[in-house]
Amino acid sequence: MRSILTLLTILSLTFPLVTTGCQSDDEATGDSELVTGEGITIEDAWARPGSEGRMSAGYFTIINYENESDTLTGVSSDVAQLTEIHESYELEGGMMGMREVSELIIPAHSTVNFEPGGLHIMFIQLTEPLVAGKALELTLVFSNSGEITISAEIRP
Amino acid sequence: MNRFKLSLIILIFSLAALSGCGSSALDDYNDVSFNLVDQNGQDVTFPDDFKGQPLVLGFVYTNCPDICSFITANLYKTWVELEEPDDIHFVIATFDPERDTPKVLKNYAEAFNMDRPPFRFLTGPEDEIEAFMQRTGVRSQVSYTREIENGDDLYFLSHTDKILLIDQNSRLIMDYGGSMTPTHIITEDLQKL
Repeated sequence: MRSILTLLTILSLTFPLVTTGCQSDDEATGDSELVTGEGITIEDAWARPGSEGRMSAGYFTIINYENESDTLTGVSSDVAQLTEIHESYELEGGMMGMREVSELIIPAHSTVNFEPGGLHIMFIQLTEPLVAGKALELTLVFSNSGEITISAEIRP
Repeated sequence: MNRFKLSLIILIFSLAALSGCGSSALDDYNDVSFNLVDQNGQDVTFPDDFKGQPLVLGFVYTNCPDICSFITANLYKTWVELEEPDDIHFVIATFDPERDTPKVLKNYAEAFNMDRPPFRFLTGPEDEIEAFMQRTGVRSQVSYTREIENGDDLYFLSHTDKILLIDQNSRLIMDYGGSMTPTHIITEDLQKL
């Protein structure tokens, strides 16, 4: 009985340390992880539906296989008056806010995820409806890798 | 059975019953009535028009493409996971009634393929929406504005991220983080009603 109690005590003391350690790693490295390959690639691109004159958001994963970091300096698209890099963030009391990100460093051998509730592309004042099942073109501009144009599937 | 044991059993049953009543509802909306309008311009009274069936209620503003789209998509996903039931209300209410008119909401609903039953998108007079949001615990405030090249004002709101589960008797059963809650949790809670 005593050994079970001891084991439970150890687990209860160490579990928070283990989980805190995991969270710290995530925060310290962002979405970075070691990868192998070549150049910069954009994967799993998609965008939310949206009505003309309103907003939409785009998401994808950027993978930097290079030995040097690169910087996403801008984005452009024909489907909106303005296309910008934004991120959602949590405020006190469970409120959510959103702010523009002027540029984004993609560390060497890392991946950066643009995903709901975090980094995303803002399509501001859509010039055409974005309908589920179709796709849009989006150009990403990197300081080292230049322009990369991708197709993003539109889905809810 | 002696009188003491009988009293003890009655006491335990009474406490269990009271405990059940207290924990099953976070709020009861039977004491309010909000006059709203849906994306088709049809008058809607909350909560009376939704009584008799469970209600999944999300809160958005349509100028918000990330978190609010996530909330809207979560309602749709929950409906799909439940195999498209027609006996559960799925409702999105805006906290930006000045800009989110019925026409704007209709366009938004169409973009998400949700301009059809059982989905409804609600707006209303600003004072009515303000009172509705206050009662449902939804806060919002302008966090960013700027004028863009064509002269239009660009604005963003900071806001509560929320989906509510209200039972067939207009009682609030669950209060979820709207964008971050896995939809299977909402689905499982609905199946318990």
